[in-house]
Amino acid sequence: MKPEAIRAEPIVLSDIQRDCYQEIANVAMGQAADLLARLLNVFVELPIPQVNLFEITDLHMALQSLDQEEAASAVCQGFAGDGITGEALIIFNDSNFDDIARLMNYTGEHSEAMHVELLMDVANILIGAFLKGLAEQLDLAFSQGHPAVLGQHKPIRDLLRPTHQSWHQTLAIEIIYALENHPVNCDLLLLFTEDSIEVMNKKIAYLLED
Amino acid sequence: MTDPQTLRDFHWMLEILQTIDVGLVVIDDEYRIQSWNAFMENHSGRRAHTVKAKNLYDVFPELPKEWFSQKVETVRQLNIRAFTTWEQRPYLVRFRTYHPITSTAEHMYQNSMLYPLMDTKGSVSFVAIVIFDVTDIATSKLALQQANSELARLSRTDALTQLFNRGFWQECLYREMQRSRRHGHTASLIIFDVDHFKPVNDTHGHTVGDEVLRHLGRETRKNVRETDIAGRYGGEEFGVILPETSAAEALVFAERFRKLIASQTIQAEGVELSITLSLGIAEIDENMKQVEEWISAADAALYVSKDEGRNRVTVSSQNR
Repeated sequence: MKPEAIRAEPIVLSDIQRDCYQEIANVAMGQAADLLARLLNVFVELPIPQVNLFEITDLHMALQSLDQEEAASAVCQGFAGDGITGEALIIFNDSNFDDIARLMNYTGEHSEAMHVELLMDVANILIGAFLKGLAEQLDLAFSQGHPAVLGQHKPIRDLLRPTHQSWHQTLAIEIIYALENHPVNCDLLLLFTEDSIEVMNKKIAYLLED
Repeated sequence: MTDPQTLRDFHWMLEILQTIDVGLVVIDDEYRIQSWNAFMENHSGRRAHTVKAKNLYDVFPELPKEWFSQKVETVRQLNIRAFTTWEQRPYLVRFRTYHPITSTAEHMYQNSMLYPLMDTKGSVSFVAIVIFDVTDIATSKLALQQANSELARLSRTDALTQLFNRGFWQECLYREMQRSRRHGHTASLIIFDVDHFKPVNDTHGHTVGDEVLRHLGRETRKNVRETDIAGRYGGEEFGVILPETSAAEALVFAERFRKLIASQTIQAEGVELSITLSLGIAEIDENMKQVEEWISAADAALYVSKDEGRNRVTVSSQNR
């Protein structure tokens, strides 16, 4: 790692900033939930999004709702816009697979191909809907990379193993999607790079002035 | 008046969209093709005016209707982008690769992005389909996966006999013990050894010795059931794990195999020879705590076979 890449002072979030991110995530999630409800004909429960700054090496700790040891699968999709870059992750435990498949109206044989298909579909919808809401509030338009399967049927610890990083911290927004009458537990995790945090702090400063 | 520079930029943009090496298709709410760039023309061999207003699924019968429509409807309803990758489906529409002669791929691998196009009333009736050629990435990833699985196969195979090597076979034995404990199934282990193998090497040389082992490997693979796990345990010692098999059932197989090998003639380097086997059988029992105890029981039975004159099968005293 290059020494100059290491920040002397770690970034800290003030309570006001944290509240503001939480509120932004709330609104974005509300819009996403509304879209989902229309698509899937289910009521989406809205828990409070968790906003935290993490050391990148502690990333797996960001996923509080999921069983760390149990096998899970994940898809990630990068996004960038206006100096803000990050990745969105969709993660669910493999034991939830059947419920999610039923929810998405999947029929037919279970297979690896179907598993990938389902991961992609859920990622498209949850990440797409959330990013749209987030972009509208921050008044920008994100470019989105292609989603990629991060791993399948592995413990979360192995799925989220950040390799060489030139930055230390990440702003993580964790959203646990729960659906009424469906025992589905699916995590949407948004991770922003260290340099994006400054840009976003400036953007929300403008929101906080109002 | 339109600023001439803006007009020029606009023409440039159109020119770029037309020639960019990415497929662009716009469809309306009835899946009729509205727009089609040069990439689509060149790879499909159909000019834009010949497909204009034609149904997408008529133009590309290989595109699965239900699957693709579901993606398009999501884009329309949620007003969001959606993506498909070659890992889900190698391609949306079947095109040849850019290297039809030198590429190993038979078709172009494609990723695609679908995005909503708003009309003037603010509703989404048109959807843009962007097709990316990812043949190079896909073929190298597939080649890598293939190389990895070949490496994995090699790392657990004994080169001479093509049976599992000791390390992997022992891992299987450990797993079988766990499984048997968890589900209450029984399992048996056969260990066998070539009688008087050292004189074969000493008299005829190692090439003949190797051929004997190769022959045994072949015959073992041919005769075990699909669920049995055969490995080369040591020099001329072999092991077969028989899941859900009692000692009595294992004995039937072992006797048949012993007689078969004894009846065969092996030819190597102009030499003809016959070999016999000594075998030991141990069925798993609940007192065994470690795989080593299971192996020891089968080994002890094998040594009884040796002591009693070779070319015979013995069931472990623990199973009697």
